[in-house]
Amino acid sequence: MPEILGAAGLTVELGARRRLFGTRPGVRAVDGVDLSVAAGETFGIVGESGCGKTTLARTLLGLQREASGEIRLGGLVVSGQDSATARRQRAAVQYVHQDPGAALDPWWQVGAALAEGLAIHGVTDRAEQRIRIAEMLVAVGLDPALANRYPHELSGGQQRRIGLARILLLRPKVVILDEPTAGLDLSVQAAVLRLLRELRDRFGLTYLFISHDLSVVRRVCDRVAVMYLGRVVEQGRAETLFAAPQHPYTRALLAAAPRLDGAAAGPSLPGDPPSLRAIPAGCRFHPRCAQADAGCARLEPALVETSPGHLTACHHARRAA
Amino acid sequence: MLSVEGLSVRIGTGRGQARILDEVTLSVPRGGTLGVVGESGCGKSTLLRAILGILPRGTQVPAGAILFEGRDILADRAASARGRIGFIPQDPYLSLNPVFTAGAQILEAMRHHAPGTRRDHKAKLAELFRAVQLPDPEAALDKYPHEFSGGQRQRLLIAAALACDPALVVADEPTTALDVTTQREILALLRQLTAARGLSLLFVTHDFGVLAAVCERVAVLYAGRVAETGLTRAVLDDPRHPYTRMLLGCHPDRAVDLTGIPGTVPAATAQPAGCRFHPRCPLVQPGCAREVPPMLPLAEGHAVACPFHALPLPEPALA
Repeated sequence: MPEILGAAGLTVELGARRRLFGTRPGVRAVDGVDLSVAAGETFGIVGESGCGKTTLARTLLGLQREASGEIRLGGLVVSGQDSATARRQRAAVQYVHQDPGAALDPWWQVGAALAEGLAIHGVTDRAEQRIRIAEMLVAVGLDPALANRYPHELSGGQQRRIGLARILLLRPKVVILDEPTAGLDLSVQAAVLRLLRELRDRFGLTYLFISHDLSVVRRVCDRVAVMYLGRVVEQGRAETLFAAPQHPYTRALLAAAPRLDGAAAGPSLPGDPPSLRAIPAGCRFHPRCAQADAGCARLEPALVETSPGHLTACHHARRAA
Repeated sequence: MLSVEGLSVRIGTGRGQARILDEVTLSVPRGGTLGVVGESGCGKSTLLRAILGILPRGTQVPAGAILFEGRDILADRAASARGRIGFIPQDPYLSLNPVFTAGAQILEAMRHHAPGTRRDHKAKLAELFRAVQLPDPEAALDKYPHEFSGGQRQRLLIAAALACDPALVVADEPTTALDVTTQREILALLRQLTAARGLSLLFVTHDFGVLAAVCERVAVLYAGRVAETGLTRAVLDDPRHPYTRMLLGCHPDRAVDLTGIPGTVPAATAQPAGCRFHPRCPLVQPGCAREVPPMLPLAEGHAVACPFHALPLPEPALA
């Protein structure tokens, strides 16, 4: 499959302020990320809070300006613009909020919120809007009569579906799903994941699936990138990455996920991730890494192919046999 | 240690009476851990509030008792278990007052509920901070909540729950707001502390993985009733109630095909008659809508509120 969305050496700085004398430096929330998402796949991004998952998503969307690097969409370089132009150019990329309840205006009926998106994208005819909204509500498994309800009348699962309907009306090619199952009950989560798969097949979508729930990512993603402190530390096909993780951080993350059989696998990871303002020299994971040696503190490992289609940024990557 | 017997809780609402809990019976043995699992709206939080004696105003308790150390703490407010039951809240970010130091807010509770002088309390708290592995425990007393990370705040709250020497600790999804690596450490700490101090633990969660990591026994709640109870391993490995089976079948680690459970959890004001799960149940029989199924004992304290627990589920819903 050809690439639909890609990034090379993408760096994003947050919070830099120009002061009277000089500037206050920002933090690098995303630091040199290379990505290539193929059309039609579900690409997972996992990592702990503060690792830069959401900033990366916002930058790919064009809501946040990159400090350096390149973003490609459908083969064209789309980076380097101010955010208004960038957003217009990247209308094919849409974003589903982490908290769909908070993303809906409590004073607006659901139908009005859905119509607004259509109007902004040039569908102003009321009758046409109504038809498209009703169709889309059915597509996401909701009763079209729900268009006359207010957000607070909907359950968490219904709000997720409205969040999906809202962006699918805009006919995107790439959908960024930010924690699409956070806060959902298990049975509702299963239904939402199933719906996502159906919608992907029906509308020919590509998903960038941001999540910290490893069980879900393993289940739905084709390929996965693991982020730590603004960098991708490992990337590969989901089944290989989960079966034989090569980076020590990925191994710790997988070992920490609670399992149904109650088995604890491997030692736990000590401490919290360091602050983005004090990123360790060399490999940024080395202070928490059991395998670190003197070299790790000096030299930052590059993300290199350690087995076919599998990239790891570690001097001691456990290569697949 | 703690035994909840036939507890029913009702709340009057504009749309009629909400039956939040209905004849819930469960117990936590001394030194034992019981997990309470269920989806949103199943009554987990109300159960916790009833045990902690903080049911909201306007709540009625038409039936049932909560026996703690032999006394009914529902009927007899004087026998109140304050101080003897520690509470670990869900959200470490919202549960600490930002304008008081960590020490000040925990010492305040100790002043009311723990014997001894302030000096004793301080020494004891520093000791607890060491036990929960906070870095630099003495200095932590004088720090403000924002100076701690999320995992450290949860450690702080665990120390607070233990400050008045409780016999029972009640935890309300204490790791949902945390990252998995932090969650794992907090769960390990909870296991270690409850074992070392011989504490009983009532642990509310919606995460079966967390449940498996912490609890010996489990009670599965559905729409205010206990659907199934037993040893955690037994329930997870061989769930018998159709609801438990279907719910575990939704778990991404186990699901053959992600389907979900058809329908939704009933509103507390409109609970179906008979078995609460019957409108969504693939094994439903005519009798299910009429009679409330009793708890049927299976092996080793495993009990299930479904007379058809031995029947296989139809193919697509198979756990």
